[in-house]
Amino acid sequence: MAGACAAVGLSAAARRAASRAPVPVFPVAGIGARREMDDLLVEPRLRIVDTPAAANVLLLAGEVPNALVAELALLHDGLSHPRTSLWWTLGAGVAPVIPFSVEVRDSDPSALVDAVVDAHRRLLTGELASSSPQLPDEDGAPWRGVGPYGQGGTGMTGGVPYGRPMAGVAPDRDGLRLDQLTVRIGPFFARFPTGLVLELRLQGDVVQEAQLVLPPSDVPTARVASTPFSDALHVPVRVSVLELERARSHLRSIASTLVSHQLGSLARRVLHLARQVRPGDDEEVERLHRVLRRSQILGWATSGVGHIASDRLEGTAAGPILRASGIARDERTDDPAYVGLGFEPIVHEGSDARARLAQRLAEARHSLELAGRAGDIDHDPESPLESPRGRLAADDLPAQRILPLIPALLAGMEWGDAVSTVVSLDLDTDEVLAMRATDSEFLVP
Amino acid sequence: MRTYLAPGVAVASVAVVMAVGVYAVAVIDGIAGRLASGAGRIGVSVMLDPPRTVALLLMQRRHRTERADGPGWAIAPALLGGLAATALAVVPVARGTAVADPSTGFVVFATAIAFVMIAVFLHGWSPNSLFPLIGAYRYGAQALSLQIPFLLAMLATALPAESLAVMDIVEAQGDLWNVVRQPLGLPIYLVVGVGVSFWGPLNLPDGADLVGGTSAEDAGTDRLAWEFARAAMLFAVAAMGAAAFLGGWWGPLLPGPVWMALKTLCLLVVMVATRHLVARVRIEPFVVACWTMFIPLALVNIFVSGALLL
Repeated sequence: MAGACAAVGLSAAARRAASRAPVPVFPVAGIGARREMDDLLVEPRLRIVDTPAAANVLLLAGEVPNALVAELALLHDGLSHPRTSLWWTLGAGVAPVIPFSVEVRDSDPSALVDAVVDAHRRLLTGELASSSPQLPDEDGAPWRGVGPYGQGGTGMTGGVPYGRPMAGVAPDRDGLRLDQLTVRIGPFFARFPTGLVLELRLQGDVVQEAQLVLPPSDVPTARVASTPFSDALHVPVRVSVLELERARSHLRSIASTLVSHQLGSLARRVLHLARQVRPGDDEEVERLHRVLRRSQILGWATSGVGHIASDRLEGTAAGPILRASGIARDERTDDPAYVGLGFEPIVHEGSDARARLAQRLAEARHSLELAGRAGDIDHDPESPLESPRGRLAADDLPAQRILPLIPALLAGMEWGDAVSTVVSLDLDTDEVLAMRATDSEFLVP
Repeated sequence: MRTYLAPGVAVASVAVVMAVGVYAVAVIDGIAGRLASGAGRIGVSVMLDPPRTVALLLMQRRHRTERADGPGWAIAPALLGGLAATALAVVPVARGTAVADPSTGFVVFATAIAFVMIAVFLHGWSPNSLFPLIGAYRYGAQALSLQIPFLLAMLATALPAESLAVMDIVEAQGDLWNVVRQPLGLPIYLVVGVGVSFWGPLNLPDGADLVGGTSAEDAGTDRLAWEFARAAMLFAVAAMGAAAFLGGWWGPLLPGPVWMALKTLCLLVVMVATRHLVARVRIEPFVVACWTMFIPLALVNIFVSGALLL
C-alpha cells in the first residue's frame, strides 16, 4: 500500500517536473507565418525541435495549404505520444486540414507560448487526449510481386516495393559502382522553407542529382502574405520602414544560417537583435559581425560552399545573392528616393555561402544606417522595388528566379554543404508555397 | 601492486561519477548557451532544466519506425554508455585510487574509444530511416579519421611513464605535466575528443543538416539514454585528458581528488562550450585535415617526446 502511494506520488512529481521543462515543439510555418515561427526560437519555455519524433506538440501557423494534406497527416503521425496539434491563426482564414486541439487567435507570441505550455500540461495530466493517427496503419502502396525477388525490379536492385524506390547501383565520383538511393526531402524539412521538396539521388552523403518537386499548375495558388515590401508595390511606404524591414529580414536569414551550422545560441542572439533593432542601430550589427567572425561561420564553415557562377545569375535580379558575386545590381540605384540619400550598392566577391552571409550582414548594417537618416521620404509605388531577396514586382517573385538554380547547384555536393547552400539562398516561405510547376524541368508529384 | 574494487562497489561508483558528470555537462551547456545567446540572466532554471527534461523524456512514449531493428535500437545507447563507463573506470582519481588500474589501462581506454563507432553505427542503422542511416555512415568516415590522431596523442603520454597503466602516466607527471612536456598533445586530444563524443562543431552523425541524424527518430527513453551516454562519453574524455595531460591529482594545497575534479571541469567547460562558439565543420575538409594534419602532428609529437627521453 505504502509502495503504491509512493509510486503515485513519484509519478505526480515527475509529471509536475515534466510540465515545467521546455515543451518540445515541431513548427510548421504556413503562409505569412515564417517570421513569427522563426522568432519562437528565443522563447525559453519552448524547445524548437528538428524532427516530429522529438516533439509532443505540432504547431501549425498561418495558412497551411490544403495541397499538403497527405504530407501533413504523415508528419502528424510521426509525432511522439502524448501529442497534440495547435493552430496559431496569425490572421489566416483557412484552417489546417488536420484536426487541432487548440486555436490561438492572439498574434502575441507570449499568448501562444502560454497556450502551448498549457496544452502540454493537460496532455501530461491526461486532461487532453493524445491525438490518434490520421492515416490507416497500412502500406502506402502494395508490394509489387514481379522480378526475381518479387520487389518489382531487376537483379537485387531497383523496383519500388511498398511505393519506395529501392537502392540502385550507379558509378560514384571515384568511378566505383555504389548504392544509389532515391529520396524525397520536404515539404516540412526543418532546414528548408515549408513547401520546398527536393527529389534526390544520394550516394552516401553525396547528392548525385537533385530535382525540384512542385505542385502542378492547376492547384490554386495561395496568396502571398502582406509585408511592407508587398505593400510598397501599391502604396507609398516610408523608406525608413522598408530599410528597417530589410535589416530584420537579413538578420533572420543570418539566424537560420547559424541554426543550420549548429549555432542555435548565436541564432537566438541574432533574433533578439532583429526584434529590438531600431533605425540608426548599425553599430549593433558591427558588434555582431565580430562575434560571428570568431565562430568561423564566415570562415571555413561556409567558405567555398555553394559557389554560383556569375553567368548563371544573369537576369535573376536575385538581390544579395547577385551582389555577393560581385555584380553591383540593385533596384534601389534607379529609385529617386534612394538617389536622394546617396545610395551606393554594397558588393562582395566570392559568390559562395560565405560571401552571401557577409553581404547580408553588410546590407543589414547599411539599411539601418539608411533608415536612420531617411526621415519621412516615401518610396513611390511607380519606382522599381528591391526586396530583401531581389527585384520585386507584381507576379515577379524572387523565388521564381532563384529556385530553378537549385538542381544544378546541388549536384555533386555533400549533403551538409547542400543544406548550407539552400539556406544561403534565403528562400521566402510564402514565395515557395506560391510556386507551381510551369516548366517541364520541374517534377510534378 | 594493482588494486581492484569489488565489482558491486566498482559499478556503483562509476554510475555515481557518470551521473554527476552528465549533470555537469548539462549545466555547463545551459550556462554556455545562455551566455552565447546574450540572454543575460542565468537563473536557477539552468540547474533545474536538466532534471525537468529527464522527467519530460520519461513521460514521452518511445517512437517506433516501420520494420525497425528493435534490439539494435535499444543496445546502441547501452553500448555507448557502457563504453563511457569502461573508459571512466580506468581514470585514477587520486594516487592509488581508481575503480580499476590494470597495467594496460591505456589500452582499455583506447578500445572503448574505438568501439564508439559501432555504437553510433548501430544507433543510425536500427531505425530503418534515411537521416539516421546517413548519420551512421558519416560517423564511420569521421571516426576512422580521428581515432588514429586521438590515440597517437594519448600514446605519447605513455612514453615518459614507460608504462601503459594510467596511474603510472599520472605519477610520471609529478615534476612536469604532459601539457608542457608535449605541447601538441592536449590540443590534438581535445579537438579529436570533441569528435569522438560527436559534440558541437564535430557533431556530424547527429548534425543539424540531418535534422538530428542517428537520433532523428528517437523519442522518450531512447533519446534520454542516447543523450546521457553521449554526455558521459564527453565526460570520460575530459577526465582522461585531465589525467593524461594536466597531471591528474598533482597540485599544491588542495587534496588530489579535488585537483582532479577541477582539471576535469576545466576541460569539460572548454569542450562543452565549443557547441556554442564554433560552427559545424564540413565533413570532407575535416577528414582531409585529420589525415594530412592531425596524424602527422601527432606523429611529430610522439617522435619529439621519444627523442627527449633518450
